[in-house]
Amino acid sequence: MKSETRKIISDGLWNNNPIFRQVLGICSTLAVTNLLANTVVMCVALIFTLSLSAATVSMLRRFTPRNIRMMVETLIIAFYVIVVDLVLKAYWPEMSTNLGPYVGLIITNCIVMGRCEACGNINPPAHSFLDGLFNALGYSFVLLIIATIRELFGMGTFLGYPMPYFSGPYWDKWIVMVAPPGAFFTLAVVTWVFRSFEIRRENKSK
Amino acid sequence: MREKKWFPVVYMFAVTACFSSIVIGFSQFTSAKVQANQYLAFEKAVLMVLPGLMEEGESRLQLHETYVERVSEPDERSAGACTLREAGEIVAYALPISGQGFWAPIKGVIGVEADKKTITGIAFYEQNETPGLGAQITTSAFTSQFEGKVISPGDKPLSLERPGDELGMSDVHAVTGATQTSSRLEKIINDSLKKWLAELDEKSERGSQQKT
Repeated sequence: MKSETRKIISDGLWNNNPIFRQVLGICSTLAVTNLLANTVVMCVALIFTLSLSAATVSMLRRFTPRNIRMMVETLIIAFYVIVVDLVLKAYWPEMSTNLGPYVGLIITNCIVMGRCEACGNINPPAHSFLDGLFNALGYSFVLLIIATIRELFGMGTFLGYPMPYFSGPYWDKWIVMVAPPGAFFTLAVVTWVFRSFEIRRENKSK
Repeated sequence: MREKKWFPVVYMFAVTACFSSIVIGFSQFTSAKVQANQYLAFEKAVLMVLPGLMEEGESRLQLHETYVERVSEPDERSAGACTLREAGEIVAYALPISGQGFWAPIKGVIGVEADKKTITGIAFYEQNETPGLGAQITTSAFTSQFEGKVISPGDKPLSLERPGDELGMSDVHAVTGATQTSSRLEKIINDSLKKWLAELDEKSERGSQQKT
């Protein structure tokens, strides 16, 4: 593997993780993470949108005038999001009703715009595609962790299946975890834990 | 050419036209399927609330066939509700209900026996309530409470009580942590039921007048 590719991967997943380093895309992190199943589909939708829109922006980068580049980026992102929305509506109506307006809101997900601006605008398509893909994966794994915690504590289930102990009578379900404030607490704790790994590593390398 | 003043405008038009035409084409391609899905969701809700029609694990196509075979569309006698009939006699009604929920409209179907009092079930086919909270109105834990409840003649045909409260013949428990959804849903159910019952009364009065 080329060192450049390796850098894109490690940046997207860890060193420059969109959630706990760049702190982008927090809105959707807070919104969709109270059920793991919804989160999984949201992540798949984001992986698709982010990697392809970054690649498309990059393909058009030589023709797009600089002063209207953001309009063009939004247009491209919206295009892919509508495609995802239509596919869900046509072939997976149950999930489409579960996610409701959140699919449409991928358009305003800051990560997508952020990566198109920071990477797609300057680099060739393959590079941008990989960058988008691994940023989306970095986003996904943090979201999945948050969703697992929230669903388990809040509803006592994992992917909708009742878990031993947590769904039993001894566990008083923390309703607040499923409600919006739970997302803030969990996100803060997860960010804190990941950042403290990072700090320890930086200290060691000094 | 990129330095020309008109270039950004023309470029934006060209890009927009290109992407929009792809999206339009794609949505044409899927629109029939999307509409069919929406109608199927309604049919499924109707089958769920009418007694003895819903079998677990049936495919969408089978559901559609059962619906076409057994359910009669709304007519004069049912005041807007779908009906289940045996030998021409109405066995149960499935009344579509809809109204504003917390985030978006809630649409559902409520099943009532031929006595126009006993509830046979309730199902929702369109809602956008908060996942995990308000959206629990679609779970069987919530909807199964309605089975066998009796419409009370007063101002509130059915009421959603606080979780943990004692329940009467026409009460069910609301969803914990979703007060907004619950109170709006209560209003939707009661408004629809009252309107429907009033219409039915009117129809049957008119019917009996014609006979005499």
